[in-house]
Amino acid sequence: MSAPAPVIAMRGIAVAYRTGPAWRRTLVPAVDGVDLDVEAGETVGLVGESGSGKTTLGRVALGLIRPTRGSFLFEGAAFDPRVRRQGALAVVFQHPEWALNPRLRCVTSIGEPLRIQGQGDSAERARKVQALLAEVGLDPALAQRYPGELSGGQRQRMAIARALITRPRFIVFDEAVSALDVSVQSQILNLILGLQQQHRFAALFISHDLAATRYVAHRIAVMRSGRFVEVAPARKFYERPDHAYSQALYASIA
Amino acid sequence: MSQGIRGATLRRLLRDRLGLLGAGLLVVLLVLGVFGPYLPLGDPTAIGAGPRLGPPSAAFPMGNDELGRDYLPRVVQGIGATFLLSSIAVVITALLGTLLGIAAGYLGGVTDSLIARIADVLFAFPALLFGLLAAAVIGPGSVSAIVVISTATLPLFVRVIRSVSLSVAGREFAVASVVAGASVWRVMVVHILPNILGAAIIQLSYALSIGMLIESGLSFLGLGVQPPDASLGSLLRLGSVYLTVSPWLVLIPGLVLALAIMSVNLLGDAIRDLLEPLRGRALR
Amino acid sequence: MTPVVDIRDLVVSYATDDGVTRAVDGVCLSIARGESVGIVGESGSGKSTLGMAIGRLLAPNATLEAGDIVFDGRSVGRCDAAELRALRRHSLGFVFQNPMSALDPTMRIGRQVALAIGGEPEAAAICALLERVGLDDAPSVARRFPHELSGGMAQRVVIGLAIARRPALLIADEPTASLDASIQGLILDLLLALCRDTGTSLVILSHDLRMVARRCRRVAVMYGGRVVEAGDSREVFAAPAHPYTRALIRAAAGNEGPGGRLEPIAGVPPVLRERASSCAFAPRCADAQARCFAARPAEVAAGGRVVACHFAAGAVIAPAPAAGGRA
Repeated sequence: MSAPAPVIAMRGIAVAYRTGPAWRRTLVPAVDGVDLDVEAGETVGLVGESGSGKTTLGRVALGLIRPTRGSFLFEGAAFDPRVRRQGALAVVFQHPEWALNPRLRCVTSIGEPLRIQGQGDSAERARKVQALLAEVGLDPALAQRYPGELSGGQRQRMAIARALITRPRFIVFDEAVSALDVSVQSQILNLILGLQQQHRFAALFISHDLAATRYVAHRIAVMRSGRFVEVAPARKFYERPDHAYSQALYASIA
Repeated sequence: MSQGIRGATLRRLLRDRLGLLGAGLLVVLLVLGVFGPYLPLGDPTAIGAGPRLGPPSAAFPMGNDELGRDYLPRVVQGIGATFLLSSIAVVITALLGTLLGIAAGYLGGVTDSLIARIADVLFAFPALLFGLLAAAVIGPGSVSAIVVISTATLPLFVRVIRSVSLSVAGREFAVASVVAGASVWRVMVVHILPNILGAAIIQLSYALSIGMLIESGLSFLGLGVQPPDASLGSLLRLGSVYLTVSPWLVLIPGLVLALAIMSVNLLGDAIRDLLEPLRGRALR
Repeated sequence: MTPVVDIRDLVVSYATDDGVTRAVDGVCLSIARGESVGIVGESGSGKSTLGMAIGRLLAPNATLEAGDIVFDGRSVGRCDAAELRALRRHSLGFVFQNPMSALDPTMRIGRQVALAIGGEPEAAAICALLERVGLDDAPSVARRFPHELSGGMAQRVVIGLAIARRPALLIADEPTASLDASIQGLILDLLLALCRDTGTSLVILSHDLRMVARRCRRVAVMYGGRVVEAGDSREVFAAPAHPYTRALIRAAAGNEGPGGRLEPIAGVPPVLRERASSCAFAPRCADAQARCFAARPAEVAAGGRVVACHFAAGAVIAPAPAAGGRA
């Protein structure tokens, strides 16, 4: 019996932006030829700086950007935006203050993916929301609040709850802990570890912080100027990575 | 932070005295405009009720116009007409402009280019020139005034809504919704619309004051409200002939118009300061 | 020798829509000439307020309720506007987190440097300063606008502007937080080296205890508006005495080994409304006892350190001799 296809399979992905005035268009490559697989139950860390292309790659993985070149397979088949309505994908972003719609109650925001799927009625959705809040370590009573009434850490947990509510097969964490305080960051990192062990989703953890990434990821890809300079098991980044750039990142947290 | 947010907002609004002044004035004028005809202020249509061009007196607090009509109810009628026309036009601008602005900001691409170009063309037309055009096509009157005001205030409104929509569309909760499979319609209505309301309200308040100016201008030229109905602009027109003889015929509607526009602007400023306070770090 | 800055029992509060918030709740700290001090804390600890208070760069709704800051013998809290201007111009330098917002986007770099140096400096002096902060091809950089520089280059320019007049004190608020991780170390080393050369005292405000401990001579850890632990930075990092410092080290990613576990600090930081009458950290402290909730811990000097904990004396372990010299 052959192994199941990886959840995400990217080959030769390139994304180029057109800039400059109309008569002198130049192509700026944001991602310049990248191969990446993510299996179920695996977290791949994507480390790099702003401008490295990691954010763009994350958007390609969510189907938000179509690559200029290369193939992107989701669960073995060419990516079709319709899998989104199945609740197969989810994302957790960086800024807690914009993670949730400030005009909606948390229960509405978190239950929205279910509503889009067309499953159940509002009572059933509310029940699922409560269950999920307990899973992410929040008081279920907070569901009725507005995001503005919560702290940054609480809002990120809400965002994680929303990401999990449809039991997605793939989650992208895009600088999800970067805007949090040290003590809150560790809470969220532990939460992500625990949830993945329990639900076995595939995950892409994008960050500029090598220390946080090596804690949650199984493998790490270091990205620079649109290319991977090193891809290695996370353990390697506790000892000494190979590439000079990775070493510079490692030195800054040693 | 709890329901304290709403309480704090209200407290700040009440502290803004100019805003309160504007609001108070506006309420008075609106009440007069809406309920004026039902109040015992006099008959605006009775020709010859008093002496022609009679100065303000005990019986006629604002004097009489060139046909001897009681001027006070005429002015009140004028307030009502000016507000009504401007408000209807602004409502049209609000509905149409919000739809176009959000579509342009969120959908981008061809839709955006099309809408932006149309707005630019409309922007280029001076309102009063458009008024002449509309009057020629539709015929002068309230309808053409509404069309002109709406057309004149639409482009700026669309621009503002478009730019605010653009920034809201990039916010993380909107993108997360797309990833969860939300349709374009859902994102625009559930996520973008509620978050641009603040900017929309601010722009609409300014559009209202501009609308009143335009309405008065059109009516002054004879293109807006037609006699025997009165708007503040048409009163200015009729009274301007007798400026040297009976100046109150011009001064009173002029003053009222200025107060109306000022009150709308003050209120609009207060709402803007409320929704988008400038949090600067001033050194002490 | 008189310290450059002597902060005495400082209390700063903010008037907000929800009432009064006490950001700094009685801080005593002094910084000697030429010394580098790192002030470490999370959001809500009061560190930014403290740092900004030294130059009286506080928001309009902030009040200096009690205590004082004595800068070079003069009181900052009570001096008039002219003295304050002179102080900021000649004696203080600031480096903020975002270099792009610190530079005037409409002015070329060379001109901004010239303004910082003062008078009418020659091109050679301007280029000399740019080279001092590690920018090659100084004449080319001087001609550029801020948006044409990378974040790292821009922050180097900002540092250059800050030390141009050889101020007595330089305050850096998260100076590398928005920079590329691979150059953060370089920028910090530059900052320290420059301050050493000019004899400028340096205060670095940061949330990263490890980074500060590696570079600053002293560190002060803040929590709940107070300094809970202060002392030689390597000793504090190697053998923390205050429970919060210990918890912070255990919670920060990067301090654990492979397969190790991060230990988050349960609870949330406090928001003070008035002078704390007990230990602000007690609700979250694993070792808290009855006394911690009843009495405000005094700052205890123990083993070369100052610790604000009822159980400080027993907690300070004789520090292991620091390996090698100080950077």
